[in-house]
Amino acid sequence: MKKILLLLLVTLSLSSCEKDDVCTEDTTPRLIVNFYDISNPATLKNVVSLKVKGDGAYNNLDLGTFNGVSTIKLPLNPSTTSTLYHFTLNSASTSSSPNEDIIVFNYAAKTAYVSRACGFRTIFELTNPYGVVYSDATAPDTFWIQNLTVETTSITTENETHVKIYF
Amino acid sequence: MLRFTFSLAVVLLTFSGTAQEKKAIKTDSIKKDSLVLKKERYGLRLGVDLFKLTRSFYEKDYRGLELVGDYRVTRRHFIAGEIGNENKTVDDDRLNFTTKGTYLKVGFDYNTYENWGNMENVISLGMRYGVSSFTQTLNSYTLYDTYPYFGTVPEVPSGLVYKGLSAQWIEVVAGVKAKVFNNVFMGFSFRINRLFSQKKPDNFDNLYIPGFNRTYNGNFGVGFNYSISYFIPLYKSTVKPKIVTSATKKK
Repeated sequence: MKKILLLLLVTLSLSSCEKDDVCTEDTTPRLIVNFYDISNPATLKNVVSLKVKGDGAYNNLDLGTFNGVSTIKLPLNPSTTSTLYHFTLNSASTSSSPNEDIIVFNYAAKTAYVSRACGFRTIFELTNPYGVVYSDATAPDTFWIQNLTVETTSITTENETHVKIYF
Repeated sequence: MLRFTFSLAVVLLTFSGTAQEKKAIKTDSIKKDSLVLKKERYGLRLGVDLFKLTRSFYEKDYRGLELVGDYRVTRRHFIAGEIGNENKTVDDDRLNFTTKGTYLKVGFDYNTYENWGNMENVISLGMRYGVSSFTQTLNSYTLYDTYPYFGTVPEVPSGLVYKGLSAQWIEVVAGVKAKVFNNVFMGFSFRINRLFSQKKPDNFDNLYIPGFNRTYNGNFGVGFNYSISYFIPLYKSTVKPKIVTSATKKK
């Protein structure tokens, strides 16, 4: 009987225990925008001092000014069904004047369970066909965005491109 | 599943071990002398888990009741089981939920203790098959957002109810029961549980299962009970004496 007890103890101790108190899984995804060259649509193009600001941002903060990158990640507002972003190209340029375009993202936000440590996250489904609408600034200054395509309507991960902007 | 098969094999080995003991009897060598043959009582033992009962008093988020019972089938084997009901609210950093439901565990205990005289103590090792049927209520949750550009969303009250959930598992039980007076026994047991099937809700998880305990932090669940039970004697059976001959002694 002692042998059996020992055997049981051994089998039980062999099982590994993992803690999952820390959230490591994917959380609420941001919308991934990639910028492409309009004259050469297959190549990525870096933006020049692109100021990005969302309406309704906490403390009215800018998302940031992006320089020399071809990808930006836009948080969508999980408590509403649309988020408006101002994109101002050449915002800090001295040689060329700033140009502002507006992009409105329309979507349905859904709550999805992740794990005990992470709780729930929000995933987004862009409305079809008017999920992403771009327009000129309130004070018209011509478009810098030449074309825009929606690659996927379901925003569940940051590992893929959701929207392509050509300029 | 492999581990379960292994555990089952271990248990079956204990059965084969008991079968061997009968060979020790040699009828021709039994002398009809003044030896009084030992009689042991067989019957049903019913009780309640005091651990769950007291926990219900001092823990605000917990209510539970477990009834325990076993029936002696052979000298060493007992058919054993537990039936219970639990209502547990878990308040985590990101989640607050309530699980309530009923569970049933059936299996056996094997008494490893050699009682002397009229002692009826039990030091047992056993297994249980457990099944639970429960509902979960998600009380509130916090949305996980690493980039709260539009401000952090406060805790969301939910109240969503997930019904018709179930789970099945296997337990390995090590326990002690001691006769305190007359037919009253006090005992405790430790359990290690391994879940093998469960019906999970859509867009949520079974983080706590009545009878099984919490399902996170490792592959195994753990359990404990502290019981007081009453033995209802049904019949007596004579213990067949083991005769030690010089031949068997040599071994």
